[in-house]
Amino acid sequence: MFNSKNFLFFIAVFIETIFNANGDLFNEELFIKPLPPAHLYTYFQFTTLVNDNLSSEHTYLAPRSLVEVLTRFQVDELHFTLTEGQWRHNHWGYPVLDAAPGAELYAWFSSDVENVDTQWKKLSSTLAGLFCASLNFIEDFNTITPQMALQPTGAIPQNPNITSQLRYASLPREIVCTENLTPWKKLLPCESSRGLSALLNSRMIHNTNYHSIGVHTRKVCSSSDCSVVSLEIKQTVALVYDSKIIRTTDWSFTKLFGQGLPGGCPLASSSKVYVDITTNDTQPFLLSPEPEKVLLSQRGGSETKLALYTIKPENKMTTIGAKYISKKDLVLMKLPPLYFNRYVLGYGKEFGGIVTELTNTFWSSIDVVVLQNAPWWLPIQLSSLRINGEASSEMVLARHYSPGRSRQKPYHLELLLRLPPKSATKITIDFEFVFLKWQEYPPDANHGFYVGSAIITANLPTARNYTSLPGTASLFESSINASKPWYPAVFRTNGVMVSLPTPDFSMPYNVICLACTVVALAFGPLHNICTKELVLKVVGSSVTLKQKIINLFKKKKE
Amino acid sequence: MGSENNISNADESNRMWASASFVGVLIIIGMPLWWKTTEVYRVSLPYEKISSFKPLSHFVTTELKVLANDDATASKIVSEIQKAFAESDIIKIKIEKTVMSERQQHILRSVVDMEKAVEELASTLDLDQENIFHVVQKKSLSHNIWVGNERIMFFDDEKASETIVKALDGWIYQTSVLRGSRSDTPDQARSTRFPPESAYHITLSIVHPRPDTMKVVWNAAEAVEDYIGSFVDELSSLHNFTLKSQWLHLLDFDFQAREVKEVSEWGRHFAVRQDRLSLLLTRLEERAATHVSELSTINLALYIVPCDKAPIIIYDNEGRKNPLSIQAFMSPKWGGVVIASPPAEQCSQQVREFEPSVGQIMGAFVSHLRELLGITKKDAIEGAHLEPSRSVSPRRWEVDALLRIRTLEQVTSAERTLQSLAQLLEEISNIVINDEVGASIAAAVSELEAGAGEGAGADAARAGRAHAHAQRAFTHPGLLALLYFPDDQKYAIYIPLFLPIMFPVVLSLRILLLWFMGKPVHKEKTD
Repeated sequence: MFNSKNFLFFIAVFIETIFNANGDLFNEELFIKPLPPAHLYTYFQFTTLVNDNLSSEHTYLAPRSLVEVLTRFQVDELHFTLTEGQWRHNHWGYPVLDAAPGAELYAWFSSDVENVDTQWKKLSSTLAGLFCASLNFIEDFNTITPQMALQPTGAIPQNPNITSQLRYASLPREIVCTENLTPWKKLLPCESSRGLSALLNSRMIHNTNYHSIGVHTRKVCSSSDCSVVSLEIKQTVALVYDSKIIRTTDWSFTKLFGQGLPGGCPLASSSKVYVDITTNDTQPFLLSPEPEKVLLSQRGGSETKLALYTIKPENKMTTIGAKYISKKDLVLMKLPPLYFNRYVLGYGKEFGGIVTELTNTFWSSIDVVVLQNAPWWLPIQLSSLRINGEASSEMVLARHYSPGRSRQKPYHLELLLRLPPKSATKITIDFEFVFLKWQEYPPDANHGFYVGSAIITANLPTARNYTSLPGTASLFESSINASKPWYPAVFRTNGVMVSLPTPDFSMPYNVICLACTVVALAFGPLHNICTKELVLKVVGSSVTLKQKIINLFKKKKE
Repeated sequence: MGSENNISNADESNRMWASASFVGVLIIIGMPLWWKTTEVYRVSLPYEKISSFKPLSHFVTTELKVLANDDATASKIVSEIQKAFAESDIIKIKIEKTVMSERQQHILRSVVDMEKAVEELASTLDLDQENIFHVVQKKSLSHNIWVGNERIMFFDDEKASETIVKALDGWIYQTSVLRGSRSDTPDQARSTRFPPESAYHITLSIVHPRPDTMKVVWNAAEAVEDYIGSFVDELSSLHNFTLKSQWLHLLDFDFQAREVKEVSEWGRHFAVRQDRLSLLLTRLEERAATHVSELSTINLALYIVPCDKAPIIIYDNEGRKNPLSIQAFMSPKWGGVVIASPPAEQCSQQVREFEPSVGQIMGAFVSHLRELLGITKKDAIEGAHLEPSRSVSPRRWEVDALLRIRTLEQVTSAERTLQSLAQLLEEISNIVINDEVGASIAAAVSELEAGAGEGAGADAARAGRAHAHAQRAFTHPGLLALLYFPDDQKYAIYIPLFLPIMFPVVLSLRILLLWFMGKPVHKEKTD
């Protein structure tokens, strides 16, 4: 997957922009794409390229905290995202980087690491502290080692056992909040005081339909023969605004982020804003101010028009906005070549099933890898796997199944499928419900249990609706005119929720109290009969003081 | 009547035995079972040994060699030193006296330069051995005594004996600092230096608030490796060090400085009050990411002042100007900060480029590090000459002194840690002691016991291990497993059962006791 020649070109681009002796390079980019009829996609990308010639102990633009974590745990490549909301592929096309709802973490460890599992546990706990996320809940029972679906994107020495160094976990229940964004911002060289990151105002960005923050690190070649590698740290934010929430289809920085842009980051080699104006033909809008340049990108048979703004550090407050001229036309969305849907089948609390529907709208077949990852409390049986209702299908080219173990290991199924042209494929797999121990239920157990997204890896034959960067590239600008025979993409389906049999949690204590009361009630007479003697009382015998008082009460009652 | 009596007697004994069996089942079996099932897990610990520790009884031992031209001088000096340190309960000095050989005397007579003399003498004396100090007579000194970088001190003649004792006490053995490291309340030096640990991270942060207006030329990696590296190399027998550096850009801090007009290139300076500086540390902590390290981090920060705020001069709380050319301050147990202002001619230029003086700044950081790691400032002693250190590395005898201080500190701190843990366990019944913690405590106790042999001073390696074990036991997260599990929850399960049942059983105890003692059970019914 790694193309070193291609990378050499980008190195040449970098050398032109080198401005400091320390060798670190920082670039910030913002990509804005209207998603008609009612949404707007904004994607921030902050890329730091670390010149690794010295040592990881001394950092210039790179965040020392992250570099130190990567070095201590010998991580070659790391991908971490925190996402709230669901990306709708069939309406919105493809994002630059897809992410699973909740928290998702996967990493390749260096081949020198022998005990990957302990390193993985330590890494996730450390990142939990660094990002204030509940990654410490990553245990063996929710970690898998994908065999086909995930491939390293960076320069990692050829190793047939590369998947053995990989660990993947997702926490779909994780809620993303300001407390995650603040430590994320601290990793940027300009923090949030200057540059594009100043737009990331937590009050505004959590007011969106979909938001995802991510940290992606990998090794990239810094010499033509790839004998020297350097570290690339990419921090991303993806936001989808809903015009219903911001109450207008017209947008501007002030409306989206609550403020204008106070100039670019003075440490950045470049600060660029790209606005996708392809939809301007059908949904005309006016950009203000006028873009510096309009770039035409032809990529895999689809044309994209991008308006470019270069932000200078000394710029005063700038705000870019768009005003729609007419909103009468109805928009017909072009469907992306591949989209998918996932839902749960069944009723009652005994059996159920998960369905993953894949639709290929392209005129040729598409090869995809589908990774299903079910927690141990949702046992999926390979014998119940049906593709379009059939137990055996010619579509399956390869298959990997690893059964789970109760409280130890999740169920993991990977299928390499060849989706026929213009077809819909339905993958069904059944599960049974499992009774949990009472301490294993999460808080608010009646809310339901989240099942992580399926990962879908595809080599798309067309770049329709495709916005991702080429595999070896670091910057967004390199996706312009980047035609390739195929376009690799990793997608996440929507997550699903199941409702496990959930007891009434006050029940055990109620039972204890009730049972104890019954026992105590029974015990009293029993004890009396066994230990006390019934004595007849002589009538007219002398009445004690105590008896007199009792008689007084009795009379009153009558 | 007799048979009726017999029957009622038999009835009564049946009833009493029934009552007794209720008592037996509920009180003798039930209650202990209840306690057992709700007990907090605790490994048995050597409480007796821990409580027998006496942290104030520890001392260190060291060796001293007195070399003089004649036996009389040597004896005089030795007796003076012995007299001075005889009462000391913190340090025991083993003194050995020797009359110098002809060759040694010749070297000392012929070589005038002190450093050279030490070098020449090193061929005849073993100066590399740790914890052995030499007091050597060298005639015609300008001062009474002379102390250099090596483990050696020169004295003029026997009149210098008083100065020798003072120098040994104040500089070489630092008995007051030793006492402070052992005492309950920390002294000045102990509250400044970092607590003993096997390893530290040293992080140099270069704070550059305005990277857009000025370029700063500073090779952080090189500066750290060259200066801090060669300093801490000498201390490698005590701790391991990892050196790091980072740049923090756009971290602006409002010093709330007052502009003061003066006659200089700038025509002004900004006066910063000392008490304002601690707020800078808070600002630094936000970004410096010291919490990521697994070990404690010594922070060094170089703050580059932007041109419009330069130059900054620190004023102390009495309003006195800092007389030094370098503006720096140290925060105990945190680190050191140097505030570097660019020169006026740089700020007046169009393209501003500031190259802070590496030697001066790193020198300030090294002097901060000395105190943070426990090498105290040496007060001047009349008649004694302390050769100023020419390189950044600490003097050999300073390292020895530090080793003694750390050893004593670790032993006493390990004992105190274990004692306070034992006390906590006594006070808070919810603390769990799992096997791992139990093993750590046992290891610490055995190390301490082995090191506490009569007469022998504290052993550095043992002290380090004991301290590490004690710390691990004290800070183990397992201790807190049930800390927030309140006692009422422990009772909650059993109280609904035991409380109603216990009433009749406990009330029956009185009658049961009377019956067993052969006393009449029913008084009123017998007549």
